Amino acid sequence: MNLAKVLRGKTWAVLLNKAILAGIVAQLIALPARAENESAFTLQGFGTLGLARTTSNDESFVRDLSQPRGIKKNWSGLVDSVLGLQGAWRINPQLEAVVQANSRYRYDATFYPEIAWAYLKYDLAPNFSLRAGRLGTDFFMMADSRWVGYSFLTVRPPGDFFWYLPFYSIHGADALVTVPFGEDILRAKVFYGHADGRIPLADEQWDISESPMLGGFLEYQMSSWLIRASYANILFKNDLPISAVIRDAFGLPLSSAELAFLSTRNTRTRYYSVGTVYDHGPWQAQLMLNHIEQGSNALESSDGGYLLAGYRVNEFTPYLGYSWVRSRQGVKPLDAMAAYIMADSHSDQHTVFLGTRWDVAKNVALKAQWDQIRGQASSIFPFREDNRLNWNGRMDVFSLTMDFVF
Amino acid sequence: MPLRRLLLMMTTCWMFLQPAAEAQAELVVVVNVHCGVAAMTRNEVVNVFFGRNRQFFNGQEAQPVDLPDTHPDRVRFYRELIGKEISEVNAYWSRQVFSGRMQPPTKVNTSEEVLKWVVAHPGGIGFVDLARADARVRIVYELAP
Repeated sequence: MNLAKVLRGKTWAVLLNKAILAGIVAQLIALPARAENESAFTLQGFGTLGLARTTSNDESFVRDLSQPRGIKKNWSGLVDSVLGLQGAWRINPQLEAVVQANSRYRYDATFYPEIAWAYLKYDLAPNFSLRAGRLGTDFFMMADSRWVGYSFLTVRPPGDFFWYLPFYSIHGADALVTVPFGEDILRAKVFYGHADGRIPLADEQWDISESPMLGGFLEYQMSSWLIRASYANILFKNDLPISAVIRDAFGLPLSSAELAFLSTRNTRTRYYSVGTVYDHGPWQAQLMLNHIEQGSNALESSDGGYLLAGYRVNEFTPYLGYSWVRSRQGVKPLDAMAAYIMADSHSDQHTVFLGTRWDVAKNVALKAQWDQIRGQASSIFPFREDNRLNWNGRMDVFSLTMDFVF
Repeated sequence: MPLRRLLLMMTTCWMFLQPAAEAQAELVVVVNVHCGVAAMTRNEVVNVFFGRNRQFFNGQEAQPVDLPDTHPDRVRFYRELIGKEISEVNAYWSRQVFSGRMQPPTKVNTSEEVLKWVVAHPGGIGFVDLARADARVRIVYELAP
């Protein structure tokens, strides 16, 4: 049986949405009776109401490249708002089934709800668990909880680090093992599966489903310190929809030589990251570095990173961060058209961001953040709706969010 | 001498406040008497309550039990253990839950229920006020207030 095939498709998603809704109703009816017990079924949720604006109309700002359009000078709730629901059934002490559905601004410019994950988790031993189904991939730290604003300090994960990661789930399996060394803890995870989803490109979409993805990480926890290294790679099975984008934009077809030169089919992209987290008392600090090695000529390889520190004072945690990303061309462009397309994946910028988190009530946090993006005029990859002629590489972003869990 | 009077007042106030502070006895971490654990370090306690390690040193599965947010002992426990507020602990668990890594420890409503849980589970581990820790459980760690 091909699990991937079963899990794919809107019909299935719609059915599952209905099942979740039925589950919610059933749970609400049953709630008073079982509130006291160790519940076998839990329903939890998270969400963010976010407003943001920028200081430029020449590029639109997105949370990551899974969003086809972004925000400009007008206040908008588009990029950060999300609602997620998660049902977890504990079938027996070792086996758990989890389904998460969420609604956010996605690749097709809608908030159509989708099944983020749906998997079975089996604990072979207290410190060894296996999962199979539709899974989140945490090949960069916190990549699988990027939309749970309540769980982190900033309004959104630092963009220069995460813009490039429109991948959210795989259909496959993973294994997580924990090995204690005295007071220290070593964690290792491996995952393999087929990527699922679509990435927007102008008015077109790049289908990345069926693309095999393999990765893992090692984490070492020493008291308040965590050190982490991760690796992942993806073998793209489809070409970027460049042909259609260029035809729409210029009314020109690409030559077969250009298409071959810019092909992504059967190219492998590799993601490396290392970092450290310090979390003790009122202090939180993170340093993360990544390197992305693109296999296709159409996309430039890049280096990025961020540094973030926050200090809690009562209910307020002000923070300050610095992030950067820089890409470089690996090969000489075939011709002017190829050069134009390759330039689309260029980035060379840094961001200073400062803000505060205010834990205003139980399970509710308000945040305000100011991002100052400073880069070259050629730095256009992280943005959407480019106006290449006017863009000067400088943009400030002002964001207000209310994050909650329930 | 207004300054001296002020100091005297402050000292008196401080002395009045002292018994109140002492009445809040220290919290202790207790385990099931049969789990084979005699003492734990602060980091070992942190690892268990944050789900980083689901076993005791002898391989016995650790089954931590927690209290609801509204219980004053929960607030004190995480403050004294690692200097974290409840909102930070809940933020940590929301990351674990919604990324599908793990669920937080089971919560019971009262300290008496914590003791019952610890007695009923072979790897049971919880925190209670020192005065409540009786012969049914074993104290493995004391938190300094």
